[in-house]
Amino acid sequence: MTHEVHKVAKESGGFRIVIANSATSITEDNKNDIVVDGSHCGANIATDYVLPNGARGMIGNDAGIGLEDAGIASLKILEAQGIPAAAVAAMSAEIGVGQSTYDEGVISAANEVARKMGVAVGMTAKEAAAKMLKGIS
Amino acid sequence: MAEKKTIVKEAGGRKIVVADSAAAMDESTKGDVFVDGSHCGINVGEMTIHSGVGAMVGNDAGMGKNDAGIAALKMCDEKGIPAAAVAAMSAKIGNGMSTYEQGKVSVANEAAQKLGVSAGMSAKEAADKLLEGLIKGGK
Repeated sequence: MTHEVHKVAKESGGFRIVIANSATSITEDNKNDIVVDGSHCGANIATDYVLPNGARGMIGNDAGIGLEDAGIASLKILEAQGIPAAAVAAMSAEIGVGQSTYDEGVISAANEVARKMGVAVGMTAKEAAAKMLKGIS
Repeated sequence: MAEKKTIVKEAGGRKIVVADSAAAMDESTKGDVFVDGSHCGINVGEMTIHSGVGAMVGNDAGMGKNDAGIAALKMCDEKGIPAAAVAAMSAKIGNGMSTYEQGKVSVANEAAQKLGVSAGMSAKEAADKLLEGLIKGGK
């Protein structure tokens, strides 16, 4: 199928905030990017897409957290690699729609790397992404 | 990247295929029952319809805002594609084998209900019913 085109929401010092409906569309072109997407934050998102392509930060959907906190499992995996990551509450944004994550999302969980950059629970995804961008720049 | 797929059953020229992500749907899964660890949001509905899979079972992602987590089910219904979601508390999202082995159906679209899939059923049983229904339907 055709590859999803990312929207660039912000650029600063060679780094960007990009918006994608699906984290599966992350490629090596995103190695200087904070990716804000509509995907859940399950383990496969970190191991199969964010880490292999070297994205610099991630904000996704917590998918209702779910069984064994699977909906936010990627946050810890990325934390271990020093990558800031956060999730928005499933009731705050429409899962599968990256622009909804960015425009409507409210942070429900953030890993330690993200928290050190100033990301906090209750913050809007937009503000969180801006803090991550500043943090990596 | 090419996502890994596991064939868990084959019958009547069709398969039940399990993958972590709906992004793994492709030419090789046309007409098959595709069980994945993805949410059932609008973009997964598009993938399902464009890929030509026979049926889909994913995760309801806690339903979420505007029931976005199961938006694909209605989209699939409009195309006559049976689809169902398992409860986010029954299976690990992002893990297709968990959907298949642990998932409990929370919602099924009309096309899936016609093939005998109902809420509360295990995903495995639902996938079997979908496979059987697709074989009988012969499309």
